[in-house]
Amino acid sequence: MKRILVIDDATTVRMYYRQVLEAQGFAVEEAGNGYEGLEKALVGSFDLYIVDVNMPKMDGYTLLRTIRQEPSICATPAIMISTEGQAQDATAAYAAGANLYFQKPVRPETLVLHVRLLTGEVAP
Amino acid sequence: MALIRKTHTTPSDGNNRRLPRDRQGLLRQLEDEAADIRRWAALDLAAFPDAAEEICARLEQETQTSVREAMFTTLIEIGGNAVVNGLIPLLRSEDAALRNSAVEALQQLPDAVSPYMATMLEDPDPDYRIFAVNVLANLRHPQTPAWLVQVVAHDRDFNVCASAVDVLAEVGTPEAIPALNALPERFSDEPFMQFCVQAAIRRIQGHDG
Repeated sequence: MKRILVIDDATTVRMYYRQVLEAQGFAVEEAGNGYEGLEKALVGSFDLYIVDVNMPKMDGYTLLRTIRQEPSICATPAIMISTEGQAQDATAAYAAGANLYFQKPVRPETLVLHVRLLTGEVAP
Repeated sequence: MALIRKTHTTPSDGNNRRLPRDRQGLLRQLEDEAADIRRWAALDLAAFPDAAEEICARLEQETQTSVREAMFTTLIEIGGNAVVNGLIPLLRSEDAALRNSAVEALQQLPDAVSPYMATMLEDPDPDYRIFAVNVLANLRHPQTPAWLVQVVAHDRDFNVCASAVDVLAEVGTPEAIPALNALPERFSDEPFMQFCVQAAIRRIQGHDG
């Protein structure tokens, strides 16, 4: 079973992604800010990170940059999902190390499709 | 990249508080090339509340996390209108870390922030309104639930409303439930809104951890 770490300070967002992804057979773990996400990423073994941008303690860009510099977890794909939809927001996400960037809200079928693609559950 | 003027030739001699501790001296040291000198200057400026504007103005140039943290610590200690006036514009910064630190600092200043909140929640920029909602997430002010209900009832932006619903799930009272119940109809094509409204109502009613 593929394991997904959802890092978002919004409780309802985490609950929603968990419901959508668990219904499709993924195992989901949650973190409420960037620091907690980094701690869990370092000790857990995940197939994908779903990362918000604006979070207390450590923002999503800083988290992704840190993950990409950490040899043990740097290859794990990450989807960044934010409320911000300007072109520079996507650029900043990719520069930080995101594999995909979406503006909220993300349709559940879109999320599941890209999670499957990035975790290797289906061929691109 | 910050332009940092060198004012001291010894970056870290372990006794950086030997430098002048008067207001002007400390403000000059905020521009020193040595981060620990800047950090100590930021902390010691807490003794000079009238330096709040200069400290706020310096935040966007400061790149060291530890120095920024010291500056925010001092600004929270100083508090008041000058600090809030200096921090609110940072919610428009492109620097996510700075923006989020400003949100967290404003949360610590409920009495000074409250006169500005209605205006912040009516800003034309939805991203800015989301950051205002984020300030409300941990703002210990009696009007917080009412501000959030106003957002849920009147804001046209999906993400602003969803952010407010998430905060209401934590701090909402039963008075928020009618406004929450009306929301899914306004965003009927988005299953997430239906989900988060129901989750918020369950939490407000005490049916969900």
